[in-house]
Amino acid sequence: MSGEVRYAQDVRLEGQWHAALVRSPVPHGRVRAIDVSKLPPDCVALLPEDVAGLGRYGCQLKDQEVLADPARFAGDVVAALAASTPEAAREAARLVEVEFEELPAVFDPVTAVAEGAPLLHPEAGAVREGAGSAPAGAIVPADDAVSIGVRPLAGTNVCHRFRLLHGDADAGLADADVVVDETYRTASAQHAPMEPHATAARWTADGRLELFTGTQTPFNLRADLAGLLGVDEEHIRVVAPPMGGSFGAKTFTRLEAVVACLARKAGRPVKAVLDRAEEWVTLNRHPAVIRVRIGAARDGTLVAKRLDCWVDTGAYADCGPGVATKLGYAGAGPYRIPNVRVDALAIYTNLPPNGAFRGYGAMQSVWASERAMDLLAARLGMSPLELRRRNLLRDGDRFATGEVMHDVHFEECLQAAADAVDYERDPHGKGLSVLLKGMQTPSRAAIAVERTPVGYVVRCASCEMGQGVRDSVRLQAAALLGCEPGQIEVPDPDTNSAPFDTRTTSSRSTYMMGRALEEAVRDLQTNGGGRGYGEIANEGGLDPDTGQGIASTHWHQGAAAAEVSVDEETGLVTVEHLHAAVYAGRVVDRAGAELQNEGSMIMGLGTALLESVDHADGQITNANLSDYNVPAAGDLPRRLTHDLIERDDAEPHGLGETALPPVPAAIGNALASLGLELTELPMTAERVLEAVDAAAPAEVGVRG
Amino acid sequence: MTLDLLLNGRPTALEAEPAETLLEVLRREAGLLSVRLTCGIGVCGACTVLLDGEPVSGCLLRAAQAAGREVTTLEGIPAEHPVRRAFAAEHAFQCGYCTPGMVLTSARLLEEIPDPSDEQIAEGLGGNLCRCGCYLKIRAAVRRAA
Repeated sequence: MSGEVRYAQDVRLEGQWHAALVRSPVPHGRVRAIDVSKLPPDCVALLPEDVAGLGRYGCQLKDQEVLADPARFAGDVVAALAASTPEAAREAARLVEVEFEELPAVFDPVTAVAEGAPLLHPEAGAVREGAGSAPAGAIVPADDAVSIGVRPLAGTNVCHRFRLLHGDADAGLADADVVVDETYRTASAQHAPMEPHATAARWTADGRLELFTGTQTPFNLRADLAGLLGVDEEHIRVVAPPMGGSFGAKTFTRLEAVVACLARKAGRPVKAVLDRAEEWVTLNRHPAVIRVRIGAARDGTLVAKRLDCWVDTGAYADCGPGVATKLGYAGAGPYRIPNVRVDALAIYTNLPPNGAFRGYGAMQSVWASERAMDLLAARLGMSPLELRRRNLLRDGDRFATGEVMHDVHFEECLQAAADAVDYERDPHGKGLSVLLKGMQTPSRAAIAVERTPVGYVVRCASCEMGQGVRDSVRLQAAALLGCEPGQIEVPDPDTNSAPFDTRTTSSRSTYMMGRALEEAVRDLQTNGGGRGYGEIANEGGLDPDTGQGIASTHWHQGAAAAEVSVDEETGLVTVEHLHAAVYAGRVVDRAGAELQNEGSMIMGLGTALLESVDHADGQITNANLSDYNVPAAGDLPRRLTHDLIERDDAEPHGLGETALPPVPAAIGNALASLGLELTELPMTAERVLEAVDAAAPAEVGVRG
Repeated sequence: MTLDLLLNGRPTALEAEPAETLLEVLRREAGLLSVRLTCGIGVCGACTVLLDGEPVSGCLLRAAQAAGREVTTLEGIPAEHPVRRAFAAEHAFQCGYCTPGMVLTSARLLEEIPDPSDEQIAEGLGGNLCRCGCYLKIRAAVRRAA
């Protein structure tokens, strides 16, 4: 507010130089030679021989090298430069000449799993966990950040296969009175945080590494770098200043590996701040192709569902295995279905890596599943609202994973959304969508409280990215300690002084840190009032081969409703009213909660109508904020409203992303109510016009 | 070259290279870190400064073009300014990165249109992106300050 927040991009280390990265122009190519003969003397180049002895990194599969060879996407980093100013570094990077031997490339996840497709990581899948020691060069699963068994398929581009098997889906579909079989697609998206990725690294004289970096995952980062660099975790310090937005972009190891290596070679601190265009080759959202088969009895009772999902993770796995898993079980939907089969593949392609993005896989499968529900309702001759109501999970029901549901509010969310647009009176031009989304399970959180002369210092690794976690911690601590929020100091996360936390993702921090804080305050009060420490864990996890187990400690539950009008001449969709209803449990920070709902809905609107990372022959074609449109003030729906569904005695529920995934499907279903069937996101004017052309004129009730 | 300008109300001399943008010089030479680079092409508003009272993109403007002129950044807007107070009261920010540009643009908008409609606010702030999506509360803040 005062302009005084200092982000990672503002960090200035004594004597620091600046980094620029040399990127591959080809989407797949072996590095034949790097010519640095034109470099001026006053710069330092990090070259393949400098990192030859290092291992590989990656949060779920260790498949990434500090400098890539082969380059596996156009934009992959093959060398790095440091110089005294950002301009000098960039100029030096331009003088490096790299010779590539181009390799065949693949840019579509369905093609990438076809017979004969070029392989990005031929060594992937050579070893499975528990199968003994890995052969030299094999890609091994990371054991620090991954909470699922990773299942690469040897000799393919599949870096993870998640299956969920519940009953007999094929038999159920054969028995169903009505079956829908449709395939849906979602585009890649760019997080586009206002602050780009920024990292500063410094090595101490005794071989310790200090990083000041915009990250949501300081401890995962520390473990990944320790493995890569062969340095003890305790000798790596990660400090995470507040981020100017992240939305998943600043998770796991991004610039930190190459900047750390560059700083070591340069013998001085080095800082990197990405150019805007580089954001599009750093991390995007997983595009997905999802085939839905869902069957119901004549009365609308769901009997079976099959989902086949091709999830494009780009050139490196990153958290693609986790995204495919969450996408997979979220796609089962918040319904009682006796027979469910999900097969979700995380697939390598020669595109920039895709990773965590607000909604984490749920948006993709909610788009597919909730669009299919409206198609099923139409075939049954039922109201989409009634079809959902008849099948929604309730307290005590078993989800497809086998776990028993508790604190369930799907129907309440759905009804609130429907009522907001007066759906039951007139569903024309309106659409609904409901979602279930898990929270990171298993995970651990810990927090330390210390009394000071003026109040308390609360140390934890929950990272601030605008979601308001510091306020949430401060407010909860003040309430527990009986003081004013202003007396609570919450320093930036620092792995040297904050206790371990799994990471700041999946809308878990208010809930998990809140519980750890209760423990810490109890500890403080029973130990003289000076210091307290609290630690909690949530247990669970899914078997990747059956999808059975505990997917989530508790459930993020929400619904959206949209009312739209369409200009049939231009294909322009106007969202007249967008509403989200989200189960919040106990609200800790009301303004923060409202902002999370509003921000999620607006980002969902961008996903629905505007945003797509486009590429041609593996080159991103819209890597700037003019060609890639994120919602501006003028893009908002005519009305944007939301509900926080609260229970004073309930536990807090994270709200950081629940209102995003249902938005595109609600808008898609509103278009479907006008006879316009869209299966692919975003719903651009061009695609809407195609749907207008495809619809029989008599069926289209277009309103302008 | 030396750039002489009236910066946040004070006559100031800053060292600048001829090709540099105002954004680079304000951040490096004047330490004004509320001026922030995002898009680099003048569409997002994160680098907004007021040049003789008009919002401009600091990422596009050459520093030399500010010579002899009045430049205002968020640091030059007092905390008790009605727009700053309204942004705080309405919680009209999340990560805070776009906030300086939003505040400066809103302040100018309210000088031109003292009681703007929702459409006028959306249009007036059309060149300022907030990826956190705080637009409703930003609109409420502008209305509160009107």
